[in-house]
Amino acid sequence: MSRLLGRALWSLGGFALFLVLWYAVALAGVFPPGQLPRPDEILSTLVERFRDRGLLLDVRLSVLRVLIGVAVGCALALPVGFLLAWYRPLRLMFDPLISFFRALPPIALIPLVIVYLGIGEQARLSILIYAAFFSSVVVIYEGIAATDEIYIRAARSMGASQLELFTRVVVPLAVPQVLVGVRVALGVCWATLVAAELIAAQRGLGATIQDAAGFFQIEMVYGGVVLIGLSALVMDRLLALVMKRAVRWQERVGG
Amino acid sequence: MAGTKIEFDDIRIGFGKGSDRKEVLDGVSFSIEDGEFVSVLGPSGCGKSTLLTMAAGFLKPDSGRLVVDGKPVTGPDRDRGVVFQQYAIFPWMSVRKNIAFGLTLRANRRSRSEIDASVDRYIELMGLGGFENALPKQLSGGMRQRVAIARAYATDPSVLLMDEPFGALDAQTRGFMQELLHDANQEERRTAMFITHSVEEAIFLSHRVVVLTGRPTTVHEVVDVPVPMPRTAESRTSSQFIELRRHLEEVMRSMTTFTAAGAPQ
Repeated sequence: MSRLLGRALWSLGGFALFLVLWYAVALAGVFPPGQLPRPDEILSTLVERFRDRGLLLDVRLSVLRVLIGVAVGCALALPVGFLLAWYRPLRLMFDPLISFFRALPPIALIPLVIVYLGIGEQARLSILIYAAFFSSVVVIYEGIAATDEIYIRAARSMGASQLELFTRVVVPLAVPQVLVGVRVALGVCWATLVAAELIAAQRGLGATIQDAAGFFQIEMVYGGVVLIGLSALVMDRLLALVMKRAVRWQERVGG
Repeated sequence: MAGTKIEFDDIRIGFGKGSDRKEVLDGVSFSIEDGEFVSVLGPSGCGKSTLLTMAAGFLKPDSGRLVVDGKPVTGPDRDRGVVFQQYAIFPWMSVRKNIAFGLTLRANRRSRSEIDASVDRYIELMGLGGFENALPKQLSGGMRQRVAIARAYATDPSVLLMDEPFGALDAQTRGFMQELLHDANQEERRTAMFITHSVEEAIFLSHRVVVLTGRPTTVHEVVDVPVPMPRTAESRTSSQFIELRRHLEEVMRSMTTFTAAGAPQ
């Protein structure tokens, strides 16, 4: 418990140091007045927005979009990942294609998405699902393909059927790697959120940032950035906790 | 022969293509009788583990006949329990669940109470009491192999195939594990094929020892171990034991020299 507290203190120390530097730069007047707000100005803007302008709705909308993107993207990546890991010819065939799509920045696809899906919620979600799918599928199938043959052999020598091999050996062995895939997808989805909300979104953190930028409300731009970072951080930490429990059996626990 | 459990008949296999091709097994024949514990001893790289992998059903010989329980081997089967050299117990399962795993498969489905009884028995037999709920990562190498042996026994196989299960253990643990396995199998009376490169281990555990030559491999000789069963730590110092050990060490040494001179790596 005290070790956990110690770790928390160290990571808070990192943020504290960052804030001190920020104050120093802001107060030293490196930038012209109004270009670099102080952290307390950003905080009071955020408080005011939460109180009067329903900023919580934007946070909730963005969190929900990211969650849907990650959930649907990973749910699709899972069976595809298993298929690619299980059948080598499929992997040889589709690996380059997946690399191609993974390399495309989702923002470049926005015009195409608008053409085919319009400017509604499904257009925004599809960008996030796309990002989640392609970022996690590679991690998932590489992890499963690396399954140690020895466990398969052991199970077969005890009479396991193909189905039992899959459900009782391959799947449990894959859990840690699948969770790594989900974590990657989560990070990528938050990074893609602003791009997704470029598509005519009225609400959401990405939309909030764009609105604020349009009116040159620099405090709110910073506020939006901070909220995205915080939301991503909280979700990543929560997932890390889940992972820690799920992979307790591993000899090397990946943080 | 009615009492023959495992029969290797003129087994041949090679690996690689063209000029890289290496003949490994070059007509290996021997058999293991019902209830017999037979060790296969040979210099490293001679293909002794390959023989076991074939008996387990994971590899087909290029030619030759391999028969277990009167049936040609076509693939892995629950009748042939395998203990591997690498730690192959499932890392996500407790000791208890590992040992029960085979019994929960459809191929050997048992009732809950039968599974519990069987698992309890093998936990006791392999001295794993108190570690039932431990995860493999909490166990030493010797303990992991005890779980692997218990798991192999639990599915009640007709033969037990062990591929240098103590190869990665330190000398002291190794001696102890040999005695534990010997005592366990004195109770279980399973037909066993045991791969090793340790002369001491082969003699201590076995009724007979099959000695293989270096590549291309054939059977050099098959020796009966004249040391009476059941064996104890004292058996190692009996005159028959020491005499046979001297003989086999001499044979192994001559083959190692031959291999080193004949086929440099």
